[in-house]
Amino acid sequence: MAAPPRHSTMLSISNGGTQQSGPNDKQTQQQAQTLPQSPGLRVPSNRKTIYDRHLNRSRNAELSRASFAYLFGEMVTYAQRRVTGIQDLEKRLNEQGYPLGLRLLDLLFYRSTSTSSSALSSSSTSSSPPNRPLRIITLLHLIHGPLWRLLFGRSADALEHSVSPDTPNEYMITDNDPLVNTYISVPREMSMLNCAAFVAGIIEGVCDGCGFETKVSAHNQPTEMWPSRTVFLVRFGDSVMEREKVLERAGVK
Amino acid sequence: MSANKTSRIGEEIWKSVNPQTPIITEKPFSIYSTAFRPRTQANQLFPRRTRVDKVNAELVTLTYGTIVAQLCQDYDSDYQEVNKQLDKMGYNIGMRLIEDFLAKSGVGRCANFRETADMIAKVGFKIFLNVTPTVTNWASDNNQFSLIFEDNPLADFVELPDDGRAQDELWFSNILCGVLRGSLEMVQMQIEAHFVSDVLRGDETTEMRVSLVRYIEDEMPPEEE
Amino acid sequence: MPSNNRTVFSLIIINKAGGLIYQREFQPGLRKLSTNDYLVLAGTFHGVHAITRSITPKLPISQPTPSPATSSPGTTTPAASGYSYPNPGVPVTGLDYLETDKFRLTCFQTLTGTKFLLFTDPMTGNVETIVQKIYELYADYVMKNPFYQLEMPVRRAGSRIQDKQK
Repeated sequence: MAAPPRHSTMLSISNGGTQQSGPNDKQTQQQAQTLPQSPGLRVPSNRKTIYDRHLNRSRNAELSRASFAYLFGEMVTYAQRRVTGIQDLEKRLNEQGYPLGLRLLDLLFYRSTSTSSSALSSSSTSSSPPNRPLRIITLLHLIHGPLWRLLFGRSADALEHSVSPDTPNEYMITDNDPLVNTYISVPREMSMLNCAAFVAGIIEGVCDGCGFETKVSAHNQPTEMWPSRTVFLVRFGDSVMEREKVLERAGVK
Repeated sequence: MSANKTSRIGEEIWKSVNPQTPIITEKPFSIYSTAFRPRTQANQLFPRRTRVDKVNAELVTLTYGTIVAQLCQDYDSDYQEVNKQLDKMGYNIGMRLIEDFLAKSGVGRCANFRETADMIAKVGFKIFLNVTPTVTNWASDNNQFSLIFEDNPLADFVELPDDGRAQDELWFSNILCGVLRGSLEMVQMQIEAHFVSDVLRGDETTEMRVSLVRYIEDEMPPEEE
Repeated sequence: MPSNNRTVFSLIIINKAGGLIYQREFQPGLRKLSTNDYLVLAGTFHGVHAITRSITPKLPISQPTPSPATSSPGTTTPAASGYSYPNPGVPVTGLDYLETDKFRLTCFQTLTGTKFLLFTDPMTGNVETIVQKIYELYADYVMKNPFYQLEMPVRRAGSRIQDKQK
């Protein structure tokens, strides 16, 4: 599937007639310059700012997987320079993923509420607030499905709940072949390392953004068929579990 | 060579998924054989493999944004230093990326720097960022040109920090300069690249200036014995 | 032997400086060398290859000159007259293959200077397609691996090349 040429996407956006984009460049510039969010920033007169572009313009756009691999590889290399051990490295990758999760959450909500391109102005989004997941299961389904599809083009491979009575707060999301690890071969002496800690950070960001205090970690669970199979262990905090009980009793879904 | 041909190569590689077609027919080799050798672009009818594995563009954009944000944090918003680090990262990427470019495009050595510029814009940027910057503003000695970016996926969703400095000091996409420097060095070209304008800074265009410093001579094998 | 012979005995990768960075056997058929002999083979081949490059005749027009703009091999416009090998737009190549009655050694040097040496049955066809595939795998699984240090021996990623090769 080839992505539509970017310039055509942009054209359709500038012709989209959203409230912000004025009829001509001059006006847009004036409006943009008076935007309250950015009093001090200069903007080009040709409407090339984030306020003039549609948030969905890159929704179905694709880029080369190689480019991602190089960027992610550099992120790993850079992180490695500043850490002392594997755990530290994973922690750092996790921290890099976290803000991404927060941002993706907004994007997911935005898109799940306004799927048709007609209801797109920012005012309409704020008038119909998106459904924030209230229960653990709803949240996990959001991650397993829509989040994974947005990031990796497919759903995750499994979603499980811990069977141990000691750890009812533990859930597992499995990816048989994480995209971030496609080209990564970890040296033997670091075999515990899983660079998908970055994705764990993304998950953590999404959960936190929804008000679910969580710790997420990535673990190698290879099988014969899936050598880079990874399990993301999601551990919800006590406050979440307590709230879960209250919501359960109240019948909130 | 015709600019159209280069852009067609870039387009072909980007678009079609055509994994198993053997492009080069079998020929006996000779000491001068070019059967393996990348030919001149003029002789190149088709790239060897026309396939780019793809991912969601937003994943790339947001990942890059995270990298820049992390650098700004680690270097306390010393944007000069951030630019330097981005360039360094790009250099590391370029040294690796060139192999992917050569392996997947199958294009060969360029006959001159003008051809190189076309190759960068229409094949390189097309494959790796799905954009085709315009090559323009050639210096009279043909050793310097500008790339003008209509569109820059790395900067989607981006607004620079409103701290009164970022717009004057930070080159958000500076990693691209390093990528060019690293990848061309691997094919024996020493270049210098820097941004001269960026729409993120409020400029009307995003422009990168690329200059050829020198061609790196083939090193001779070390003296034996 | 079937007519569509695909026997690939082994693969060697030599870095820009002539160092052996990868050696694997894919199919039995050749006698094994000691690690040291492989290193010697890589270094020797590297030297011989460089010599075969340097004795390749050059056109006067592609002679290096002090001016930076024109000093690369095969730059500037092709000479209309006096055309001979090498093609001005093509870099000087070196040794492309060696053959004995038991095997054939094919050398593919990338534009970046890395050499892939493939030992095959002399009857194996389509070697260039195989080498091309190997180059792609190298570009993917070696060069995109952040834990691989350039010019150093290929370690774990090598097994991925081997797996994919099968």
